[in-house]
Amino acid sequence: MTNSMIYPAQPEQILKSLGKLWTSLGQEEKEHGKPTVLRACAMTLIVATGESDGGFSASQIISELMHEHPSRGIVLTVSERGERDLEARVFAQCWKPFGKAQQICCEQIEIHSRPESWPHVGPTLIGLLVADLPVVFWCRHAGVLGPQATADQIAGMEAVMSLATKTIVDTKDQDLASSLERLSQWRARGRLIADLEWTRLTPWREPIAQLFDGERENPYSSFDRVEIAYANDAPPASALYLAGWLTHPFSAKISFTKTEGCTPGVQKVTLRSPHETIELERRGCECMTLRSTRTRTRHYNYADATAYSLMNEELAVIGADPAFDTAFNRAQEVLRNAF
Amino acid sequence: MSALLQPTAETNPLQDPLRFARRVPPCAIVIFGASGDLSKRKLLPALYRLFYERRISPSFAVIGSSRTKLSHDQFRERMRDSVNQFLEDAPFDEEVWTSFAQCLFYVPGDLNDPPSYDRIREKLAEVEKSHQTAGNVLFYLSTQPSHYAEVIHELGAHGLAQGSGWRRVIIEKPFGHDLASARRLNDEIHTVFDESAVYRIDHYLGKETVQNILAFRFGNGIFEPLWNRRYIDHVQITAAEAIGVEGRGAYYQEAGALRDMIQNHLSQVMATISMEPPTVFDANNVRDERAKLLRAVRVMKPEEVGKFAVAGQYGPATVGGQNVPGFLQEPGVSPEAQTDTYAAVTFFIDNWRWAGVPFYIRTGKRLPKRVTDIAIQFHAPPLGLFNQETRTGPRAPKPNLLILRIQPEEGISLRFLSKSPGSGMRVRPVSMDFNYGSSFGERTPTAYETLLVDAMAGDATLYTRQDMVEASWQIVQPILEVWADTKFNFPNYAAGSWGPRESDEMLARQGRAWRVP
Repeated sequence: MTNSMIYPAQPEQILKSLGKLWTSLGQEEKEHGKPTVLRACAMTLIVATGESDGGFSASQIISELMHEHPSRGIVLTVSERGERDLEARVFAQCWKPFGKAQQICCEQIEIHSRPESWPHVGPTLIGLLVADLPVVFWCRHAGVLGPQATADQIAGMEAVMSLATKTIVDTKDQDLASSLERLSQWRARGRLIADLEWTRLTPWREPIAQLFDGERENPYSSFDRVEIAYANDAPPASALYLAGWLTHPFSAKISFTKTEGCTPGVQKVTLRSPHETIELERRGCECMTLRSTRTRTRHYNYADATAYSLMNEELAVIGADPAFDTAFNRAQEVLRNAF
Repeated sequence: MSALLQPTAETNPLQDPLRFARRVPPCAIVIFGASGDLSKRKLLPALYRLFYERRISPSFAVIGSSRTKLSHDQFRERMRDSVNQFLEDAPFDEEVWTSFAQCLFYVPGDLNDPPSYDRIREKLAEVEKSHQTAGNVLFYLSTQPSHYAEVIHELGAHGLAQGSGWRRVIIEKPFGHDLASARRLNDEIHTVFDESAVYRIDHYLGKETVQNILAFRFGNGIFEPLWNRRYIDHVQITAAEAIGVEGRGAYYQEAGALRDMIQNHLSQVMATISMEPPTVFDANNVRDERAKLLRAVRVMKPEEVGKFAVAGQYGPATVGGQNVPGFLQEPGVSPEAQTDTYAAVTFFIDNWRWAGVPFYIRTGKRLPKRVTDIAIQFHAPPLGLFNQETRTGPRAPKPNLLILRIQPEEGISLRFLSKSPGSGMRVRPVSMDFNYGSSFGERTPTAYETLLVDAMAGDATLYTRQDMVEASWQIVQPILEVWADTKFNFPNYAAGSWGPRESDEMLARQGRAWRVP
C-alpha cells in the first residue's frame, strides 16, 4: 500500500501520510470485523543507498528483516536522478505468518535526495525517528568509505550517523587502508560502528573458540603462528579482523596467502603450536571442515552470508561490541606491520 | 590486557557471548532407552540441531543404550532416519550428519543386566580419550519410569556416578505416581546422586514462552504492581489438546489428565505465573520461589474435592465430518476405565499476594483445538460509567484481560476498552497484541534443545527440584484419592467439545465462566 510522492519532504507531512496509511489499513479491519493488521516496530532503521545500489534492493532486504526486526524503515536514496532536492513517499510492508489470519505490517519511508542535499537531510530524519527506540543506520552507499569520497558524502554520512545509536557499514570490496582509517576516525569520535566484514566471520570464529573451552593440554597461549588464506586480489578486511581477533591476547606471527575459493573472502585459517595444528577450511561452497592434529575432523554447514543474514545478526547487537573493538584495533596494527 | 581475558581454564579469550550461542562444556551423554520414541522423536533431533548450529562443544559423544541388539552403525542408521523424519523447522545436511554420526555410539544391554553397565563404563573411558569429553557425563533416563530406581542403583554400584569430571542425571516425568512413590524415588536417587546433580525434566518449563513469563513479569515495571489480589479477579490456565491418546491408551489409562498434566506441567506454569520475584536470577533462587509458591497452595480436604475439581472422559462424536472414538473405544483401553481424560481444578494460594484469588486450571484431550494459554482477568472498574455495545444491546463492559499464549500462537495480548469512533460514548473491547513470532521471527529452539544445553551447562533453573515435585504431588494427592474411590458416570463430554458440564458449573457457582480460547 503506497501513498503518492510527498514534496517537500517535511517530517510532519510524511507523518501525516503515514497516519492516513494506518487509517486505511484499519479500515480493512473494520470491513472484516476482526483485527487483521498488527503494527510492529522495535527500532528505526535508516538505510542510505547510492545510485548503483538503488532503493529497490534495500527495500527488499528491509521487508525480509522486518520478520525478525520490525522497524520503521527509512530508505534514503542519494542520486543525481532526482528532479527535486528531497522528496518522499510512504508505504507499508505487510506479511502474513503461515496459517495466521492477521497481517503484520511495518511502515517504510523512501526519501530521495540529490547528492548536494544529503548533508541537509538531518532535520527531516530527526522528525521521523520513532521515539524511545534505537536508531540503526545502515550505510550501503559504496562511495562513502573510499578514498574518492566527496565532502558532501562524508558530511551526509556524518549527519545521519549523529542520529544513530549504531552505524553499520560494509568494507567488503573497499580500499582497505582508507576505509579502516575512516572507521577509525568515526570510532574515535565515539560513534558505535559495526562492519559486516566482521559479521561474516562469526561462522569462522565460533568453532575455533569452542576448541578452547574448558581445560586443555595445549592452552591458547601456546599457538605462535596464525596463517590466513583468502580469495581476493588484496586481503579483505575480514582477514585482518580474523587475524586481529586471533592474536589479540598474544603476539603470534601472522601470515596471509592468496588462494582460490568458491567465493571471495577468507578460505582457510591455520593455528600452529609446537604440539598441535588447527585448521578451519572452506570445503566447496556449502561446507567447512575443522581439523586438528589432536582431535577428529568435523564438518559444519557453511553458507555464504547474504545481506539479510548479516543484518539480521547485526541488528541483534545494538550496544557495544567489545570483541569487535579489540579485533578492530589489533587489525589496524596488523595492517601497518604486515603489508 | 585485562585479567578477565587471561586464557585460563575458566575463561576463553576467544569467547564472544554477544554473538556465539551459550557455551557448553565437553561431555558424553548416555541415553538409556535409546531406541525408544523419546530418543527418536525429540532427543536425537535436538542434539543434531545443536550440533548443526555449532551450539555443542566439538568434544562430545552420545552413547545410546537399550535392549535392542544393534551395532554402532545400525544405531547411527536408525537415528539418521529419525532425525531426518522428526527434525523441526531445520534442514538435514548430509555432511553435517556424517560428522555428527562419528559422535554416536551404542552399547546394547538390559537395564537390569549389571555387565552392560561395565560396558558403558568402558565406552565412556574410550570416548573420554577419543572425543576429549573431559570425564563429564550426562545420563539421560529415557526409560519406563518403573526402571528409574534400578538404573540409578546400578550407576552407583558400577562407579558411574563419580569420575574425573561432573556426573549429572536427567530424569523424565512422571516422578512417581503419587506423593509417597515420589518421595521413595527421591530417596533412592539421593543414595547415588546429590540433588544438585539431578535434573528432573519438565519440557513445559523449557518452552520459550513459559520462560518469557519470567521476563514479562520481572523485566517490566508496569505489571508487577498489579500482580496481586487487589487487581486480579482470577486466573485461568488452559491446556487443551485436539487429539486423543494416539496409541498411548495403555499408558494413559493408568495416568489420566490430572497426573499427566496438572501435577507437573500446569502446576509449574501456575507457580511461574504467581511466584514471588527471586532476589537473584539463578537456578536455586528461582526454584526456591517456585517451591515456596507450591507449598502455599491450599491442599483440599476430601469433602472439598467435589466442589473444586472435575473429572471428565470423552465419548465418541463426529468431529469435522469424521467419527471420533470415545476414550473407552481407544486401542489398549479397558472398556471399564475410569480414567480422567479431562481435569479441571480450582486452586487457592494462601499467601498475602493471592489470598482469595481462584486459579482455574483445565486440561483435556479431544477438546476443540490445541491451545495452551494463561488468562489473567482483572477486576472490573469500581464504577461502571460505560456500557459495552454487543449484538444483543448494551451490557456492562468486560473487565481487562491479559492473555499469555504458550502455544500455538505464542504471544501476549491485553484486552481493554476503547471508545468507538463517532458521537456518543460507546465502548468496545480492543486487543493490544505482542506476537512472539513477529517480533522475534527467528527460529526458536525446541524445549529439548534448551533443556539439554542447560543440563550440559549445569543450569538447573528450568528443571524441577525434589521439593517442587513433592509439593505439586501434595496438592493433587487428595483429588487422586477421592477420584480413586469414585465411580464416575463416564463418558461425560463429547469429543470436540470444551469438556463436561460440571466444569462450567464449578465456575458458575463462583459467578465466573471459562473463556473460549
